Amino acid sequence: MAKAAESSGEPGTTSPRPLMRDLKAVGKKFMHVLYPRKSNTLLRDWDLWGPLILCVTLALMLQRSSVDSEKDGGPQFAEVFVIVWFGAVTITLNSKLLGGNISFFQSLCVLGYCILPLTVAMLVCRLVLLAEQGPINFMVRLFVVIVMFTWSIVASTAFLADSQPPNRKALAIYPVFLFYFVISWMILTFTPQ
Amino acid sequence: MKQALVDDTEDVSLDFGNEEELAFRKAKIRHPLATFFHLFFRVSAIVTYVCCDWFSRSFVGCFVTVLLLLSFDFWSVKNVTGRLLVGLRWWNHIDEDGKGRWIFEARKASPQHSVATEAEARIFWLGLVICPLIWTVFFFSTLFSLKLEWLALVIAGISLQAANLYGYILCKMGGERDIGKITASFLSQMVFQTASPRDFQKPGLKGLEIHKH
Repeated sequence: MAKAAESSGEPGTTSPRPLMRDLKAVGKKFMHVLYPRKSNTLLRDWDLWGPLILCVTLALMLQRSSVDSEKDGGPQFAEVFVIVWFGAVTITLNSKLLGGNISFFQSLCVLGYCILPLTVAMLVCRLVLLAEQGPINFMVRLFVVIVMFTWSIVASTAFLADSQPPNRKALAIYPVFLFYFVISWMILTFTPQ
Repeated sequence: MKQALVDDTEDVSLDFGNEEELAFRKAKIRHPLATFFHLFFRVSAIVTYVCCDWFSRSFVGCFVTVLLLLSFDFWSVKNVTGRLLVGLRWWNHIDEDGKGRWIFEARKASPQHSVATEAEARIFWLGLVICPLIWTVFFFSTLFSLKLEWLALVIAGISLQAANLYGYILCKMGGERDIGKITASFLSQMVFQTASPRDFQKPGLKGLEIHKH
């Protein structure tokens, strides 16, 4: 998980405060995911800290509170982790095999950052689940998850589609669709007990 | 008489800035904080992983704690301690046309910048090499004891630590492509504590475009 390129092109100088620089870079990328437009920021200055934070947050929120402390959500936590990272790696390999000219880490960066809307959906779902269960509850959650799922897809295609040759765009995009679909499914079918 | 006095005062320089600098140069460890943190995060991660059963029975808590420690360690070794302790750094640079490449640099020894001290360099490299080996041992022990839910964590640990190790080895190699020579000189430094003439050079970027994305 390398850091973004050094600030300012002068070789031999380093940023005097690398921590602030990196935190700002992560924040800026979150903003770019929330308001996707044609920009190169996610691609040029890639980093994998955002995806790590989002993955851990999502995995923590997908914990079931179980009575039995022996298996206290262990498998589910590691499952989410494996699904997210393994899925992202698979999509990246797929797009590279299709001839895309995006680098391995750049693709991981984009896919990871675009999980942000779904993490927000998870948060909302957890709050909604505090109210009484029922069909209305489910409809609300379904609506939120669908909206956020669409947002994730739009955000990631805005960044990834350009790197594919024109006749292969659909082939490269459908695994992204599947990836976010699986995550949305995990979010939607989550029940606290 | 007056001449002698003048000569006397000329010999003694009452320049306190220089004294500090001299003390700095003579110190065996010039960046105690960086040295401490270089080892602290790695060792804490390993200790937490090994002893997590004693602290709490929560898989998730232990997983997240070890992962956090490994992340802090990765960031601090890559961005801070490598630069301060041994004068090496590496990063990924992306050109205007979107091509990415890795850049590895080693700092030239100059009068302004101090060359790495023996103690610091030794601590740096030992910490860098031994911890990934320990995580590899954990990988096999987890695999064979079939505690597969920990495998994700161990693999994350190995990747993060090996990435730093690989990056710094490539920095150190600099213009040298002969691994045997590098290993021999490295081992001899460790064992015999001789300061080999260090050629701190900026590796030619052409020669080191090892990873072309």
